Amino acid sequence: MSGSRFEALQSIDRRWIFLALAVAVIAALVVQPVFRDSPGELVVPIFAAIEALAPGTPVLISLDYSPSSAPELEPMAAALTRHCLIRGLPVTYLSLWPTGNHMAGRIVERVIGPEYPDAVEGREWVTLGFQAGGELLVHALLDSLGSRFAADVRGIPLIEIPALAQVTGLNDYGIVVSLSAGTPGLKEWVLYGGDVGAFPLAGGCTGVGAPQFFPYYPRQLLGLMAALKGAAEYEAALNDDYADRVPRVMQATRGMGPQTVAHLVIVAFILLGNAGLFIGERRKRGRR
Amino acid sequence: MIHPLAVSHDFGVWVGALLTLMVFSFLYRDNPFYKFAEHVFVGVSAAYWMVIGFWTTLWPRVIVPLIPEASRIVSPDTPLPERDLSAVVPAVLGLMMLSRLVPRLSGLARWPTAFVLGTTAGYAVVRYVRSDFMHQIQATIGDGVLIPAAGGGWNVAESLAALVTLSGTIFGLIYFMNTRRGGTVTTPAARIGLLVLMVTFGASFGSAVMARISLLVGRLQELLGDWLGLL
Repeated sequence: MSGSRFEALQSIDRRWIFLALAVAVIAALVVQPVFRDSPGELVVPIFAAIEALAPGTPVLISLDYSPSSAPELEPMAAALTRHCLIRGLPVTYLSLWPTGNHMAGRIVERVIGPEYPDAVEGREWVTLGFQAGGELLVHALLDSLGSRFAADVRGIPLIEIPALAQVTGLNDYGIVVSLSAGTPGLKEWVLYGGDVGAFPLAGGCTGVGAPQFFPYYPRQLLGLMAALKGAAEYEAALNDDYADRVPRVMQATRGMGPQTVAHLVIVAFILLGNAGLFIGERRKRGRR
Repeated sequence: MIHPLAVSHDFGVWVGALLTLMVFSFLYRDNPFYKFAEHVFVGVSAAYWMVIGFWTTLWPRVIVPLIPEASRIVSPDTPLPERDLSAVVPAVLGLMMLSRLVPRLSGLARWPTAFVLGTTAGYAVVRYVRSDFMHQIQATIGDGVLIPAAGGGWNVAESLAALVTLSGTIFGLIYFMNTRRGGTVTTPAARIGLLVLMVTFGASFGSAVMARISLLVGRLQELLGDWLGLL
């Protein structure tokens, strides 16, 4: 192989890399390899906290994301929903993002409807939906949900909703989980909710946001599901304890196969580029 | 395993699939299909925000409190809420914000902008100092670097992690203090700090790549599954 060919390895047209990635991911989606995860150090506390709640204790899930980050965060919302419904914990969905109502609708349509047909809206779950305000909304909800939400998304007053019978403000929730793709999101929940209130706060975030939130664990966050891997770990915990009540392979676990294959392709290209650099440099030095 | 082709009959799925392919076409090079999808996205997003903003903020927080009779337009059977004239304040501030559209009156927009910035800054500074400054310092040095084990003695793994966290923070700070203009590192400690920062940036970048791949997997799942029915 000539020196110029080694140099060419360092400047492969990016479109070949895109094509290789697409082929690898599509092949993995078709073959569907399953790499079983095990619950990690940051995910176990969230699972354990929900396990420890007495049936009937309300749980709040804040869906602070949009369709663009749903592939990472929706599996977390689905897994948490399954866990709460199995344990008999009424779930409240709200959102700091305008797209939150639609995200809650997808969970109802894709998880609650098909898997828990006996679950009743208002009793097993309630969607409060989006409210503007970001951090100010979180702060206002500490004392009273009713101060910002007069009714749920169906227009039913909060006082008539059984799932909220025990709830006045955020401190009445057994746990609050923010699934966050940006601002406003988990950071606002930590600063204006968890650090001020008296409720356990956990989070889920995209891979891009994860480095920002790791420092909050364990003092300011009970646990953190980071990216698709975090969701897959939560699914693994569910599979360990409720194998007969949840799907055998859930959304995030299914996604981790193609994800792993894509990472291998990226690592291969990095090795190829570095091999080209080092061998090319050595040959150049040899010629001198 | 792969299923026989069963293309979706859902119009929304088709729109999503075609727009996805248009956006992916940018990976080859810029083209009119990508531009079309980009403009559709921006337009739809703006319209969505406007509609959501109207029905979740303007309608319940400004219009109905000022004109309670308006609530009958949406739900004729509900009792009329009480008039709340305090909603005049945000209404006026909002209108002043719109004055930017009229060059002669655009100076009025400074008042609501100042109000929003001042309120947010005043509100945020306390929380940031407590949560992102005090709590983070406590988290870094609070327990020291010798973490006791449950059964007595020291937890070596956690103590090592605490030591790396504390020393990494200190070396990272030294890097910023001992670096000349142009990025010249002046001390060995700053060089270690630079190493810490590079590892951090590398981990962040790896995490970002992982996130993007997840999104790619998500889109391809929708294309192959929801659209073509192959999965």
